[in-house]
Amino acid sequence: MKRRSLLAMPAVLGLGAALPASGFAQEKRTLAFVVNVSADFWTICRRGIEKANREHPDFNMEMIVPGQASAAEQRRIVDELLARKVAGIAISPINPANSTDMLNRAASQAVLFTSDSDAPNSNRAVYIGTDNVAAGREAGKQMKRALPNGGKAMLFVGTMDADNARERVQGIREELQGGNINIIDIRTDESDIARAQRNVEDTLARYADIDLLVGLWAYNTPQIYQAVKGAGKEGKVKVVGFDEDALTLRGIADGTIESTVVQQPFEFGYQSMIGMVKYLNGDRSFIPASKQIIIPTRIIDKSNVSEFQAQMRELLRGR
Amino acid sequence: MLLELDGIGKTYPGVRALDDVSLTLHAGEVLGLIGENGAGKSTLMKVLGGVVPPSTGQIRLNGRSYDRLTVAEAQAEGIAFVHQELNLFDNIDVAGNILFGREPLRGGPLQLVDRKAAAEQVLPLLRRLGADFAPHTPVAELSIAQRQLVEIAKALVANARIIILDEPTSSLTLSETARLLTIVGELRASGTAIIYITHRLGEIIDCADRVVCLRDGKMAGALPHEEITHANMIRLMIGRELRALYTPPARPPGEGGLSVKGLVTSAFPHKQVDLRIRPGEIVGLAGLVGSGRTSLARALFGIDPPLGGEVLLDGQAVRISSPKDAVAAGIYLVPEDRKKDGLVLDMPIAENITLANLHHHARAGLVDRGAERRTAEAQGKALRIKAPGMEVAAGTLSGGNQQKVVLGKWLSMEPRVILFDEPTRGIDVGAKGEIYALMRALADRGVAILMISSDMEEVIGVSDRIVVMHEGRISGALQRDAFSEKAVLRLAIGQDGEAAES
Amino acid sequence: MSKKELGLGLLLIIIGGITAALNPLFLSGVNLLNMANLIGLFGVFSIGQGLIIITGGIDLSVGSMFALLGVIFIDLLVNYELAWPLALLVVLAMGLVLGLLHGLLVTRLKLQPFVVTLCGLLIYRGIARYYTNDATMGFGYATNLDTLTWLASGRSFGIPHPFIILLIVAVAMYVLLHRSVFGRYIYAVGRNEEAARHSGINTNAVIAGAYLIGGGLAGLSAVMLVFYTSSVSPSSFGNFYELYAIAAAVLGGCSLRGGEGSILGIVLGTILLQILQNLVNILGIPSSLNFAVMGSVILLGVIADQQLGKRKQARALSRSQGVAPAPAE
Repeated sequence: MKRRSLLAMPAVLGLGAALPASGFAQEKRTLAFVVNVSADFWTICRRGIEKANREHPDFNMEMIVPGQASAAEQRRIVDELLARKVAGIAISPINPANSTDMLNRAASQAVLFTSDSDAPNSNRAVYIGTDNVAAGREAGKQMKRALPNGGKAMLFVGTMDADNARERVQGIREELQGGNINIIDIRTDESDIARAQRNVEDTLARYADIDLLVGLWAYNTPQIYQAVKGAGKEGKVKVVGFDEDALTLRGIADGTIESTVVQQPFEFGYQSMIGMVKYLNGDRSFIPASKQIIIPTRIIDKSNVSEFQAQMRELLRGR
Repeated sequence: MLLELDGIGKTYPGVRALDDVSLTLHAGEVLGLIGENGAGKSTLMKVLGGVVPPSTGQIRLNGRSYDRLTVAEAQAEGIAFVHQELNLFDNIDVAGNILFGREPLRGGPLQLVDRKAAAEQVLPLLRRLGADFAPHTPVAELSIAQRQLVEIAKALVANARIIILDEPTSSLTLSETARLLTIVGELRASGTAIIYITHRLGEIIDCADRVVCLRDGKMAGALPHEEITHANMIRLMIGRELRALYTPPARPPGEGGLSVKGLVTSAFPHKQVDLRIRPGEIVGLAGLVGSGRTSLARALFGIDPPLGGEVLLDGQAVRISSPKDAVAAGIYLVPEDRKKDGLVLDMPIAENITLANLHHHARAGLVDRGAERRTAEAQGKALRIKAPGMEVAAGTLSGGNQQKVVLGKWLSMEPRVILFDEPTRGIDVGAKGEIYALMRALADRGVAILMISSDMEEVIGVSDRIVVMHEGRISGALQRDAFSEKAVLRLAIGQDGEAAES
Repeated sequence: MSKKELGLGLLLIIIGGITAALNPLFLSGVNLLNMANLIGLFGVFSIGQGLIIITGGIDLSVGSMFALLGVIFIDLLVNYELAWPLALLVVLAMGLVLGLLHGLLVTRLKLQPFVVTLCGLLIYRGIARYYTNDATMGFGYATNLDTLTWLASGRSFGIPHPFIILLIVAVAMYVLLHRSVFGRYIYAVGRNEEAARHSGINTNAVIAGAYLIGGGLAGLSAVMLVFYTSSVSPSSFGNFYELYAIAAAVLGGCSLRGGEGSILGIVLGTILLQILQNLVNILGIPSSLNFAVMGSVILLGVIADQQLGKRKQARALSRSQGVAPAPAE
C-alpha cells in the first residue's frame, strides 16, 4: 500500500475512492485482519499480509484499523465483517477476557484466529503471536543487563487494561523476582502521546535517582527517548523498550537506549493469512495441541541495530 | 368578601418593598391596580400567588386566614394568574395547555391522554371566550392575544375565583384589547373577581369598578368608580399633576427627510408601502399588531432587507441591505424589545452607548476608553440617565433608563431618521413624559421621527401626523386636527376612505 | 484582574502550595520548565477555543485538526521535502481555512457550532487516518529541520519556546479581545447577537473572524505539538484536546452561553489543568485517577464560582434595592 498523495485529497471525499475496489469482487473470499490501534507495528504486519496475498491471489486480504482503541469499536467492525460474510478473521482483541461472546460469534460464522493478543477462553482456532509473558521476561533480562547492580525502574504504558500490557509487566516482574531492581511505579497515558512524554518528564523531575525507564508500548519508548534527551540525561538513565519505532532504533544506535524487545509482526500477518487459507482448505495440521503458535521475540541492541534498521526501512518503504 | 389583605408588609434586606398594604376584593368586581414600575405591584401579586411570603400582615381568603400562602394553597383557593410573560408550552396544542396537569385519560396501563375528551372539555370554554381557534391548534401558531385567551381558559378550568391580569394588553392591538375588555366584563358578570394591572389608564377607566394605587410600596390611595379619571390616577401614581402630552413642534417641518416609495417587505411580499417623514416631524404609525408596522421598520433598518422599492434620504437613494447600511445612512431603530434587540444587558452603559459608533472611539482599531467615557457621560447627562455610573451594566437599570441608553447610543451619532417601535412599552408614567420630550427635542433638531405605537393615548398625544397601516399597506393618514380614536381605529381595521386624507 | 481571575489564581496557589508541601520537587526548576512547555502547547489553542466560546460558539474539531494538520505537515516536510517556512505557512493557512469554513457554516448557513465542529471532529480525523493509511508518521530520516525544531520546541534563556509563543499569543489576543473594536464586538455578539446586529455591527463577520483566529491558533498549536511528540499517530493524536481547551476556557471564566471570559482567565485555566496533570505524577497518584482528579477540581472550581457569583448578585440586588425600592417588576 502506498501513501496517498496530497494531490489525491479531493478524491478522498468522493465515495468511490474510499471504498476498497476489491470489495466488489464477489467470487473472491475475503480474509480480514482486525488490529487494535493504528501503529507502525501493524504496517509491518500489513507487509506480511501482502506477501501472503501475493502467494494466494485468489483471496482478498485486508487489514482493518479501528478509529478508537476500544472494544466497542472492534466489536462493531467484527459485526460488519460477519455481515459481509468474510471467510476468515484474524484479530488482535482489545479486551479478550470480556469479548468471548463476540469472538465466539465470529468463530461460528467464519474462521477465527487471534493474533498479537490471545483469547484462550474463546473458540478461536489458533493464536499466532508473541507470548507476552515471555516477551516481558526477555525485557526483564535486558533490564538486569542494563542495571547489573540493581536500581530503581519506572514503567510506562498506554493503559493497564490491555492484556499485553499486563502480561509484559507480569513477565518483567517474574524475571526480576528476588533481584535488586525495584519497580517504583507504572505510569499510564491513555494513548495520549503528549501525555506519554510528560509522564517521563515528570518522572525525571520527581526522581532524581531513577536508573531505568521502560517503555512497554511501541510509542512509549520514543517518548522516553525524547524526554531523556530533553533533560540531558543520556547515559545517566538507562532505557529499555519494546517494539521498533524509528526513534527507538535511532536511540539504540546512539546509545541512549540499551535495547528493545521486538516482536515479528510481519510473521503475525503472514502466518495468520497463510494459516487461514490452509484452514479453509481443510488443512489443520499446522495447529499444535496448545492452539498457540508462538512467534519468538528478538532483542535489538547496539550489535544488530543497523542491520535491523535497514530491514525496517525496506519493509516500510513506500508506505 | 372574597379576599382581604390586611397590613401586608414585605421587607428585603435593606429594602421595604411593601409597607402596610390593605385591600379587599369582592366577587364579581374588577379592581384596577396601578402604580409606577417598582411601586410594589408585582411583589404584592407574588404574595397573593404564594411565591413570596409577606413579612407582616394577614391574608384572608374565603373566610380562612393565612399568615402566608403557599403556591398550592393559592391555587386551591382559586387564585389564577395571567402573566405579562405568558407561561404556555408552545409545542403543545391549546387543549393540552389548558388542561395541563388535569388531562382526561383513557385509562389502561399506558395512561394515554384522551385527546377527544380534552377537546370536548375545552371547546365550550373557547366559545365562551369568543376564541377563533380550535382546541388542537398548536400554541406556536397563535398570536399573543390568542395565547392570552388560552391563559384565561386555563384559569377558568382551574375554577379560579380570582383572576389576576398582569399587563394583559401590553402586546395586544386595539381591537384585541377591546375584546379582552369585553371578556373581562363577562367574567365579572359571572361572578369572577379580577385584579387588573396595567399602565394603560384608559383601560382602567373602561373596565375597573375600583382603583387602588401603590406608590413606593405603600397605598397611595383608592378611587371609587365615579372618580376614576386620567388626572386622578396620574396624581395618585406620581403624586403630582402631569402636563398635557402634546408639545407642538418649534418650527414647521423642513424639506427632504425620509421618503419610501413602493417598498416591499418580506412579511407582505405583495403589498407596497409609500411613506414620507419630513425632518422635524413626529409621524405616529398606528395599526393592529401584524399589520406590517414592525416589518416596515425592520425593512427600513435592514434587519429584514426590503424586497423592492426605494428609500430616499433627502432626495438621495440609499441602499439598505443590513442594519450596517442603515446606521451608515443615519437611519436608526429604537426597537420594540429593548432587552432583546436594543441593549447588551450585561455590558456597561458606556459600552452600549458607543457600540454602534465604536470606530469613532478608537485609534488604530483599539478602543479609546477616554473618548468612550466622555461620550457616555455626555449622553448620560443630556438624557438624565439615572445610574450610579456609566460603568454599571445596562441590565441593572429601570425600563425608562434602559430606553434612554438605547437613545443615547443613537444620539451620540448623527441621526437623520429615528424609527421608534413602541418606545414606552413597560415604562412608567413619569419616564414616558421624558421620552416624549426627548422625541420632540430630536424632531426640533431636524430629525425625522417615526413612532410605532399601539397605545392610543400615545399615538394621539404625541404625533404631529398619524399614518395607519392595515394588512401590509398604508390604509390612510390623519392630520392633527382629524385625530380621534375612532378615526385611527377605522383605518386600522381597513375602513379607509372618508377619514383618510394625506 | 477581575474577581474571577483572582479566585482562579488563588486556587492555583492553593493547589500548587499543597503539592509543593507534599513534594518540594514540584517547584524544582526542571519541573516548572517542563510544565511551562506544556502550558505553552495547550494554552495557544485554548485561547482560540476561548475566543470562539465567547462568541457563544464552540469548537470540537481542534483535536482532529491537530491530527490532520500534523500528518500533512510531516508529509510536506519529509516526503515532499518542502522548505520548512513554506510547510509552516501551508499548515497555518490550512488552520485558518478550516476555521473560516466553520465560521461560514455557522454564520451563513446558520448551522449550530456544536454540530459543525462535531462533524469537523469526525471528518478531519477520518481524512487524517485515510491519508496516512492509519500509519504513524514521524520525521524519520528528514534533515534540515534543526531551525524549525529549535523554534517550535527549543529553549531560549532556559525558557521553552512554546511558553514564549504562548506569551506572545496571549498578549496579542489580550489586546485584540480586551482593547480593540473587534474584541468589543466579540463580547457584544456573544452576549446579545441581536442587539449587536441592531447596532449596525456585521455580526456574521465578527463570528467568522473568531473561528478564523481559532483555526489559525490551532494550526500553530499543531506544529508545536508535532515537534513535541515527533510523531503523529492519526487515530489518537490530539484526541480529547478540544475538551482540554474547553475545560481551560470554562475554568478561566468563559461561559458556554457566550459573552464572558478573558484571556488571562483562559491562560490561568490552562495552567491549572497542567498543574493537575503534573501533580498526579509528582505526587505519585495512580495514573488511572488522572481524569478523575481533573474533573473533580474543575467541578469544584465551577461550583465555587457559581456560589460566589450568586452571593455577589444578591449583594448587588440589595444595593440596587436601596436605590429603587422593591424588586424588579
